[in-house]
Amino acid sequence: MLEITNLHARVEDKEILKGINLTVNPGETHAIMGPNGSGKSTLASVIAGKSGYEVTEGSVVLNGQDLLELEPDERAAAGVFLAFQYPVEIPGVTNTYFLRAALNNIRKNRGEPELSMTEFMKHIKSKVQMMEMDNSLLSRSVNEGFSGGEKKRNEIFQMAVLEPVLAVLDETDSGLDIDALKTVANGVNALKSPDRATIVVTHYQRLLNYIVPDFVHVLMGGQIVRSGGKELALELEAKGYGFIEEELAAKA
Amino acid sequence: MIDLKSTPHSLVENFDLVKGILSTYGPDKLHALRLKAFDNFVEFGLPTTKDEEFKYLSLRALTEGQFAHAYGATIDRYQVEQTKVGSIEAITVTFVNGEYAPELSSAHALPKGVFVGSLRDGFTVYEDKIMAHLGEVANLKGKLGSTNDERFVYLNTAYLSDGAFVYLPRGVSLEEPIHLLFLSTADHGPLVSHPRNLIVLEENSDAKILESYLGMDGIYFTNSVTEVVLGPSAMLEHTKFQDENLDSIHIANCSIHQAEDSIYTSNNISFGARITRNDVNVWLDGEHTETWLNGASVGLGEQAIDNHTRIDHAKPNCNSFEVYKSILGDRALGVFNGKIFVYEDAQKTDAKQTNKAILLSPHATINTKPQLEIFADDVKCTHGATVGQLREDALFYLQSRGVPKKEAQGLLVYAFAAEVLEKITISSVRDVLEKALFDKLKESQELPEQSEA
Repeated sequence: MLEITNLHARVEDKEILKGINLTVNPGETHAIMGPNGSGKSTLASVIAGKSGYEVTEGSVVLNGQDLLELEPDERAAAGVFLAFQYPVEIPGVTNTYFLRAALNNIRKNRGEPELSMTEFMKHIKSKVQMMEMDNSLLSRSVNEGFSGGEKKRNEIFQMAVLEPVLAVLDETDSGLDIDALKTVANGVNALKSPDRATIVVTHYQRLLNYIVPDFVHVLMGGQIVRSGGKELALELEAKGYGFIEEELAAKA
Repeated sequence: MIDLKSTPHSLVENFDLVKGILSTYGPDKLHALRLKAFDNFVEFGLPTTKDEEFKYLSLRALTEGQFAHAYGATIDRYQVEQTKVGSIEAITVTFVNGEYAPELSSAHALPKGVFVGSLRDGFTVYEDKIMAHLGEVANLKGKLGSTNDERFVYLNTAYLSDGAFVYLPRGVSLEEPIHLLFLSTADHGPLVSHPRNLIVLEENSDAKILESYLGMDGIYFTNSVTEVVLGPSAMLEHTKFQDENLDSIHIANCSIHQAEDSIYTSNNISFGARITRNDVNVWLDGEHTETWLNGASVGLGEQAIDNHTRIDHAKPNCNSFEVYKSILGDRALGVFNGKIFVYEDAQKTDAKQTNKAILLSPHATINTKPQLEIFADDVKCTHGATVGQLREDALFYLQSRGVPKKEAQGLLVYAFAAEVLEKITISSVRDVLEKALFDKLKESQELPEQSEA
């Protein structure tokens, strides 16, 4: 479903991704772990199409579509969703207005009819409950004055509403207490299906207790240096990233 | 300046035609004020861009035009209902071309002692109170500033005929909003009207007022003055909505006098008129006052919108917060001048001023000038001005959710101004103005079509 081949990307003159290869099949959950500065968030941003990153080599293909050719909104229409590490506050735009505009654009692209306000409200009602969100958040401006936990909940709520094919969670666990973490994980798990996939980018193993990955990849120095099953995450938690560095040094 | 002693001008010539009838409105003392103001007006002339206070705003359409003194015109209730603000539930006082239109106003049972109506009717009940304040707020006598300019206030006072009068006695809290509605229509040639409003809130009283200026047909010049007097601990939310037609000139002075512990909020919204000049002057004359000046302007086509504000921190321990925003497209011109004077005695002043502009077109212009003059040493004063593009991070966020770039830009431009409208606590007014903002932005060449909420 998602095929990343030899992906190189840089910010200004600094090369950050140095040849990423990753295949994600429908129904799978992949965790990308790594120390700070390893390129995890860059990978997430490049998939979503954030400006400021220059792809110098390689490709990112989702269901046969070259994502790198598409604008961010076209990627969303193709089924990509990025849950931001730092969700953006947009005073003056209400959550409901924004989300309905987003959903209707995605539906239009899929050739589905737009939803009226009533249909839209019906569509989101269960998602609001699932994310244990206060209804009043809907009529408030996007993320404005939300607590850290509310912002992250709102990200997953948006994801639940937009029903993406590929969800990329960028450090969604950072700044969450255990209850919020469980709610967020529930939201992600509820969306799991044989034709969708999830990439969880995280520094810590903690979130992976709740969103159990099929594969764990370790990103270091802009490359995936090791891949394994969910037990790799536990090993990293126990030993830290140092042991992989040592192994790599020993090999070299 | 244009010397009116040597240059003939309708704004001078009209006076001979109407001073006789004007003298019959209100007490003799008032007519003395008119005569003195007229002399001042002729003496000081009309400003040009060589005058510091009008440096960026060309008034040639005014100085080279001819304007007849306006008389009322017939507008029916249906026409009023068709306007953007026609459906707002409020205690409404309507004026057409500066004349009170009782048939378009709403009668309401008001608490004892409260007056909401025309100034002329007000004289029959509250002459002393009116004369105690009229002309005493909208002046810069003895105030700091080397470029103080009161010419359009002189002009308004010279022709003072009618306007709205609102009076709340001590301790009255008026739940229902007040709507002062000024309509202009000039289908028989250019007209000038000079609405004069007085709002007096005695100690501990509290009101919400919408003051709107709307235009129908023709070329006209509205030259309004609104004086606001807030007693101790009084509270006023004052929203002004200016949506004059695009051939008109709108010059408005709003002057506010705040006593101790009072709270004043101004939401100053300008979408209309070919030329707009707003002066909002706040005089803080008691300790522990709070002042919020919020402004949102949208200028498109050839519109020019000039906002001048001044806050005189004359007493200690007062806070003022000011945010003015402009959206300018096509060849529109925006001006912002924000003066804050902190007087020698005004220790512990906290003043914060922000001016932000978005230019949608390479031919649109904004001139922004914060002007802080501080004569006390223990104060907190900040100011900031940004002229810019839309926030990249917000744009990416919207796009990443599926909103196309053009639409996301439109949404952010709307949000930029809507943030100011959110300060309005009367929901019916806020809804109407949000819709008006939406419609106004639709006229822009640079923004894409938006679907409605």
